[in-house]
Amino acid sequence: MMDKKKILEEGLLEKYLLDELTAEESNLVETFLKNDFELKRQFEALETDFERMAFENAIAPPKTVKSKLQKKLGRGTKPWFRQSAFLVAASLAIIFLLSTFALLLQQREAIQNLRTLQNQTVDLQERLNVLENNYVLTNNQLQSINGPQTIPLVLYGNKLAPNSRAVAYVDHKKKMVMVNPQGLPKLPEDKTYQMWGDVDGEMINMGLLKPDEDLVSLKYIDRASSLNITIEPAGGNDHPTVEQLMAYVSF
Amino acid sequence: MKHHLKDKEFIQRLTNDDQRALYQLYDKYSGALFGVILRMCRNQELAEDLLQETFIKIWQKIDAYDDTKGSFYTWAYRIAKNITLNSLRKPDLLIQTDDLSVYKDKEETSVEVDFSELNGAVRKLEPHHQEAIALVYFRGLTHREAYEEMGVPLGTFKSYIRQALLLLRESYGQELTIIVLLIEIFG
Repeated sequence: MMDKKKILEEGLLEKYLLDELTAEESNLVETFLKNDFELKRQFEALETDFERMAFENAIAPPKTVKSKLQKKLGRGTKPWFRQSAFLVAASLAIIFLLSTFALLLQQREAIQNLRTLQNQTVDLQERLNVLENNYVLTNNQLQSINGPQTIPLVLYGNKLAPNSRAVAYVDHKKKMVMVNPQGLPKLPEDKTYQMWGDVDGEMINMGLLKPDEDLVSLKYIDRASSLNITIEPAGGNDHPTVEQLMAYVSF
Repeated sequence: MKHHLKDKEFIQRLTNDDQRALYQLYDKYSGALFGVILRMCRNQELAEDLLQETFIKIWQKIDAYDDTKGSFYTWAYRIAKNITLNSLRKPDLLIQTDDLSVYKDKEETSVEVDFSELNGAVRKLEPHHQEAIALVYFRGLTHREAYEEMGVPLGTFKSYIRQALLLLRESYGQELTIIVLLIEIFG
């Protein structure tokens, strides 16, 4: 069993200093030195004495040794293991940085894609709504003009607009008039078509017709004997310009 | 222990790969270490190579140095001793060590001294004390090898070492006391 007394008697401190001990013995002495202040102090005194003796017996080496050492190490040369440790650390850092960057790019791309998809979805939804509304409207219109009470009337253009025509659908029961004006020729921007109902010789305004619309709903006039289309200044007129009458049909 | 504080700074810088710190430690310790290496291998040229090797190893292994386990010099001494003993174990170098006649210039011939001759406090010791210390410290022999070399029993050899160390302690301690006294008187 090793103890402090044995360490001192066996000269283990000297042997430890001179690197004569086995690894096991060295560890043991190191443990004692760590825990025993007195022993540690003795060891330090021993170190000081040996160091002092070495300095008293120093021999200056030729200057060439130092210059050879400097040449051998070179400027900034590091031991390979520290260099490689540094390289490994640096490589890992770079890989980490690159992968983080790649992930960041991917994430940004994914967010971008998601946004595009969301926008597309909103867009499609809106288009679907428009289509649905159009369908409802068209269906209503179709039902209106296909109703059993509906009378279709064709208004042929006179010499003011030869080969032109408009189709009016009249339902006296529902008091409804719808006109398909697509057969009418285009007008200059300062002109418009206007429809009138003839009641006992008096022309009553039914509304304006735009040839680019599919089907125009107009005001139903009770007791009208004919339908008339005139060309009027844009925005319509209070009274019809008779010389501009381009089509009419009687009930 | 002021110079050991300085060592701490050098070592700190050395662990941060500052080469200048290595050369500062070289300037401080190369003489002491060269004295040991040269006495151990007794070949000027080889000793120079081994000294260089010692400092390269210090440069490479400084991370392994633990100042809680001992002084920097003790650590460097062990490195120098191991490097020297290893090189002496190689047979081709053993032949070289015997050839002491190849010194070329004056600087090198100037160390054609008796390597066993010691200076300072150790020289004031009795011859058998001197020899015992020289064998283990400057020749790198183990206690076992050294007592055979001296031709005395192991126990006797151990007591030579212990006595020699006590006398050195006394000698350095006295000097220290004188220095402390001088500082107190004139300081």
